[in-house]
Amino acid sequence: MVRSHTSISNVVALIFFLVLLIIPSVQSTTATTIDVWPKPRLLRWAPLHQLSLLSPSFTIASPYDHPHLSSAVSRYLTLIKTEHHLPSSVNNPLTATSSPPPPPSPPLQSLHIFIHRLHAPLHHGVNESYTLHVPNDRPTANLTAETPWGAMRGLETFSQLVWGRPSRVPVGVYVWDDPIFPHRGLLLDTSRNYYGVGDIMRTIYAMSANKMNVFHWHITDSPSFPLNLPSEPGLAAKGSYGDDMQYSPDDVKKIVEFGLDHGVRVIPEIDSPGHTGSWAEAYPEIVTCANMFWWPAESKGEDKLAAEPGTGQLNPLNPKTYQVFKNVISDVVKMFPEPFFHAGADEVTPGCWKTDPTIQSFLSNGGSLSQVLEKFVNETFPYIVSLNRTVIYWEDVLLDGVVKVDSSILDPKYTILQTWNNGPNNTKKIVDAGYRAIVSSADYYYLDCGHGGFLGNDSQYDQLVGSDTVSNGGSWCAPFKTWQTIYNYDITYGLSEEKATLVLGGEVALWSEQADPTVLDSRLWPRASAMAEALWSGNRDETGKKRYAEATDRLNEWRHRMVSRGIGAEPIQPLWCVRNPGMCNAVHASI
Amino acid sequence: MPHGSVIPAIILIFSLFILQLCIASVASAGGGGNGINVWPKPRIMSWTTQPRANLLSPSFAISSPKHFYLSSAANRYLKLIKTEHHQPLVTPSLINITTSSSSALHTLFITVESLLTPLQHGVNETYTLSIPADASIANLTAHTVWGAMRGLETFSQLVWGKPNLLVASGLYVWDSPLFAHRGLMVDTSRNYYGVDDILRTIKTMSFNKMNVFHWHITDSHSFPLVLPSEPDLAAKGSYGHDMQYSPDDVKKIVEFGLTHGVRVLPEIDSPGHTGSWAEAYPEIVTCANKFWWPAESNWTNRLASEPGTGHLNPLNPKTYKILKNVINDIVNLFPEAFYHAGADEIIPGCWKADSTIQSFLSNGGTLSQLLEKFVGSTLPYIVFFNRTVVYWEDVLLDDNVNVRPSFLPKEHTILQTWNNGPNNTKRIVDAGYRAIVSSSEFYYLDCGHGDFLGNDSQYDQLQPSSSANNGGSWCGPFKTWQTIYDYDITYGLSEEEAKMVIGGEVALWSEQADPKVLDVRLWPRTSAMAETLWSGNRDEETGIKRYAQATDRLNEWRYRMVSRGVGAEPIQPLWCLRNPGMCNTAH
Repeated sequence: MVRSHTSISNVVALIFFLVLLIIPSVQSTTATTIDVWPKPRLLRWAPLHQLSLLSPSFTIASPYDHPHLSSAVSRYLTLIKTEHHLPSSVNNPLTATSSPPPPPSPPLQSLHIFIHRLHAPLHHGVNESYTLHVPNDRPTANLTAETPWGAMRGLETFSQLVWGRPSRVPVGVYVWDDPIFPHRGLLLDTSRNYYGVGDIMRTIYAMSANKMNVFHWHITDSPSFPLNLPSEPGLAAKGSYGDDMQYSPDDVKKIVEFGLDHGVRVIPEIDSPGHTGSWAEAYPEIVTCANMFWWPAESKGEDKLAAEPGTGQLNPLNPKTYQVFKNVISDVVKMFPEPFFHAGADEVTPGCWKTDPTIQSFLSNGGSLSQVLEKFVNETFPYIVSLNRTVIYWEDVLLDGVVKVDSSILDPKYTILQTWNNGPNNTKKIVDAGYRAIVSSADYYYLDCGHGGFLGNDSQYDQLVGSDTVSNGGSWCAPFKTWQTIYNYDITYGLSEEKATLVLGGEVALWSEQADPTVLDSRLWPRASAMAEALWSGNRDETGKKRYAEATDRLNEWRHRMVSRGIGAEPIQPLWCVRNPGMCNAVHASI
Repeated sequence: MPHGSVIPAIILIFSLFILQLCIASVASAGGGGNGINVWPKPRIMSWTTQPRANLLSPSFAISSPKHFYLSSAANRYLKLIKTEHHQPLVTPSLINITTSSSSALHTLFITVESLLTPLQHGVNETYTLSIPADASIANLTAHTVWGAMRGLETFSQLVWGKPNLLVASGLYVWDSPLFAHRGLMVDTSRNYYGVDDILRTIKTMSFNKMNVFHWHITDSHSFPLVLPSEPDLAAKGSYGHDMQYSPDDVKKIVEFGLTHGVRVLPEIDSPGHTGSWAEAYPEIVTCANKFWWPAESNWTNRLASEPGTGHLNPLNPKTYKILKNVINDIVNLFPEAFYHAGADEIIPGCWKADSTIQSFLSNGGTLSQLLEKFVGSTLPYIVFFNRTVVYWEDVLLDDNVNVRPSFLPKEHTILQTWNNGPNNTKRIVDAGYRAIVSSSEFYYLDCGHGDFLGNDSQYDQLQPSSSANNGGSWCGPFKTWQTIYDYDITYGLSEEEAKMVIGGEVALWSEQADPKVLDVRLWPRTSAMAETLWSGNRDEETGIKRYAQATDRLNEWRYRMVSRGVGAEPIQPLWCLRNPGMCNTAH
């Protein structure tokens, strides 16, 4: 990776342990047959490759009074004792019966947790490093972490070391681990189609299994407003898909708490001023161009009313807009303790604002659409910041070709920009402008792409042999992003080391035009796992070569383990490939 | 569409005549608009009155002639009709809803002309369904029990509502498929699917009026089928004891197919794609368990087209002993009159790895002669059991290894095409063979999810390469429902040639599919083909492709399939259904 988020204390720790490793006979970490996903930064298994039984009375000793850590400890204890994972690969040395049995080690009795800063909150940049030592001469393993959140990462790693019936665990194992990027997220759009609370919790649970730490909840958009807000109950009552497709304050609380129990922050996004058609059901007066056909036949591309069906933008010139909007923000801030607030601001479409008479007269008096947006941002951004929140916007707010604000009104101290267009180019534009960036490049990280367009009556399909648009899978961001495409993307590509430090991390995104609960798991997993590893420990080996080759086998194994944990991840290879390691490889440069 | 035998055509003309005589205002039904949707769209569905609905009586019953499979289907549909309580996402806009329980519909009366006609290729699936306005009896008339099952499905889709059930009434349906063979292929060798997955798939096929489950049972990766005469093939060649199909499983699947009007067509792929046979009989398989494409060799010397090597050896007499045992067992297990014998992707390098074949070749023999020997030794044996043999097109069209047409008697052979779109379909019918179309550019459901090979250097770059660009797999991109819906399987053929195209099959190869993704990979994309092959993809009057109104109908149908327990993927946000027309493009 071009850059590392390793703090100085971690570097010291790393050097210290590297020295320790060199003294005994050095075991190549790449030769390990222990599969942990995402791959730890450093994992050493003493050369004898010994295994111990996990004692039936195995316990996790955590002497701390910390509700979320306690919840994680009891969850992992149950998982570890009941999972009995059987690696799919029968040739896995872990399961091979032909090798001589290793010298017996005493059954492992306990895992002891040591935490230095128990009260570190789960915020951006929190220390997630941990060390895990499973010795071969004592029945006690140690997990040491700066924070409870790092301990949760270590518990996940430990859980992946345990397998078999009766449960076995490799001993003589040392792990030092620390994420390269602090922001490893997943966006889910719950407006275009609705997902139940159980779906969201299962997703957060799967994220924690992949050591991801940010659930970016794109709650509202033009198609529906599913969030029930105490100060503005009309928005969901009228703007949701129905009473059975809403999130109550209790649902949100449950999700936020569940996130904390899993070391996953829940960042809310209330997209505005665009993508607000659903607000018009309750407040038609604050939304321009609501409920109109998105792109009338007689108009040109630049006169579209919305980027896609579902029109409506908040009207920055109507004072009532801010009254409603501030109620919304105030409620959301109360419901979500997370210090980041995502305010959207993508795809402000000129044609929509231009339908409004007050905006028309503002424009005919020499005003510009960018000024209209600036007015909106000036009225809302300071308010959000005053509530102790850092504001995330989509890059459009600054980089849009037509409607954008001057960078002077977005203080980089309180602003983070999330990029989705033009791959590495826009990432560079954002950090060059002095802003922190979250990378969700549509070319690499959009999980919904490639399943065909969702528009009806689309004449591009009325032909025998596909046109270019059709032949790549038909949707605007096609083709489908394969796990390899995701795994191999370097989110700091082309940046100096200095600039790269402004890239906080990345998020894969599932927009829900063509996704809903029936396809949720298969769209997300294991592709989100590919990003999870690339952002945790990188996508290259010690030689700098991309490690997708060995990643294939590990991801395959991890996919099977996720499935057995109740996550409907899609297969990436026939079972035969897992059973016959190496036989499904390509050894030619191109095929 | 060119397909339609003489009798349905006469009925069609007759029906149209009657309709025009008797009906004052004929409104075309089911074309969207009023929210009464049937998928696949019937050939003729007309309101005899203004669109209206009637109550379905709480004591509604289906009166069916006694027939083992039809009675079972009638019971199943009765239960579905009474318990489904479908709630359309768009409330049907009907002029009139009769809520008087005195005129509620009490009985659907089924009449079948020929009860004994078996479920086989070309069986008459025509039915007429008449639901008079304000009458207590509806009539379903069909030539065969299989046509009656199609009519029951249509009737079930005309019922909705909660708590009271409503049924569209004042409605007349005449229906008959354009293509006789409407199939779905699932590969159970590369990954295993449980019996319930297969049954659910067959059930969903019947919802979509499809009639052939092409079961690609075996391949190089695993041999999941337990055969009484050759038990070792599965014992040693399957993925494990829990990943096998017993003879009882097969019986269950075949019977389930019959109660749903779906034929179960077995494929035992050979002589290629037989690596898994080598676990039990290494001596009859060449190049087994080899690395598929060694680094030092070029593509023409690969041992298989993908990882998983092994071909049956045509020069070893024992090959035929085993294969004939297999065929014997298969024809005992599967009553279906078609037998799919595979014969795709014979890879020269694999046969050349064998020493007896090497000496055969060095004595002037050719690989094509080897294949002819294999086909000449097996096809007559299969035909002897009164089976029509289906082969993949390769057996005739492969550039390197193929047989002469004289080895493939046209009356006993059907070729299934998967390469080169309409071109190969034309080559097959021009050679005088019946064709089943599974063009990979249109009908392969597995494509576009990235390659499954490990260590593939095409991905080691920042900018995706051109192959990564289309979704990365050999047949990428993903085939969207629109691509499938709009494909004309008789494109470029004369009317005479088109008659040789008996239908099509979408195919799910399982390199990157298993039970976790089965439903989302199959549905609703398979429904797209189901409608195109049943009633066509064009508007009857204008000839314009009807994907536009198909979008709304397919969306509604997808939700109904989900509520019937099928994990079909969404094609639009719910908002589009709630706001009809608003998600269209006008450009």
